[in-house]
Amino acid sequence: MATAPGKIDAAFHDELRRHYSEEELVELGAFIGFNIGYHTFFGTLKFYPMFAPDGRLVSQEESVRIYGAAPVSLAADRSAA
Amino acid sequence: MTHVAPLAPEAITDPELRELIARCEELGVPDALFPRILARVPAYAKALLRAMLMSHAEGNVDHRLKEIIRVQLARFAGDPYFSRLRSRRALAAGLDEAAIDAGSGDYDDDPRFTPAEKLALRYADQMYLDPGKVDAALYAELKQHYSEAQIMELGAFIALHYGMQVFMRTLGTAEPAAR
Repeated sequence: MATAPGKIDAAFHDELRRHYSEEELVELGAFIGFNIGYHTFFGTLKFYPMFAPDGRLVSQEESVRIYGAAPVSLAADRSAA
Repeated sequence: MTHVAPLAPEAITDPELRELIARCEELGVPDALFPRILARVPAYAKALLRAMLMSHAEGNVDHRLKEIIRVQLARFAGDPYFSRLRSRRALAAGLDEAAIDAGSGDYDDDPRFTPAEKLALRYADQMYLDPGKVDAALYAELKQHYSEAQIMELGAFIALHYGMQVFMRTLGTAEPAAR
C-alpha cells in the first residue's frame, strides 16, 4: 500500500481473504492508510521518542543519538536492492 | 465494485454512525460509499469519519483551500473516488473547478492564489512527493502566514485524508455513490 499500491489488486484481496474476514480487511487497510498518512507528517516535524530504552526521560538531542535521525525504511531498502 | 463491498444502508444500525454518514453525505466528502465500507468496523468508522469531517470542515484554515489540497492529494494518491468528490460547502462558498485544477498544477505561478495559499499547497504537495523538502525552512516560512495551531490543523488534515485516499485506492476503482 505504501510503496506499490497498484499491486493491491483483486488477486491480492482474494489471498488476504484466505486469512482474514472482510471486517479484518477494513480494519487492516484503514490502520495502514492512517499510518502511511501520519508517519510521513510526523517525520517532517522532527520529533523523537521521549524515553530511552531503559526508561529514562531524555532530551530530544539525546533521543536522536540513541535512535538515529531517520528510521530504516522499507522503501529505502527496496530502492537500494 | 470495490474489493471489499460496502454494507447496505439498512445493515448500518448504529445511530451515531448513521448520523455521521448523513453528515458526510451532506458535505459530499466522503459520500456514503467509503463510510459504508468502513462501517464493517463500526468503532473505526465512527472515529475516522468524525476525524475526517472535523479536519476538513472545521477549524481555522479556509475550507475552500482545504478542498483544493484534498483533491491535489487524491490525484497524487491515484484514487479516482476521492478525486471526483467535491465539497458542497466549498462549492457554495465560491470554489470552482478551475481553482481546483490550478491547485493540482503550476499553482506557484497562478495569480489566483495568495502567497499563504501557495505555501499551503506546497506543504501538501511536498509532504508525500518529496517529504525531505518539508524541513525547518519550510516550517519557518509557514509560520510567517499561519499560527502553530493552523499548521497542525493543516498537517493533520493532509495526513488523514491522504492516508484514507491511499487505502481507498487499494479497494479498487469506485465511482462516488449515487444519491
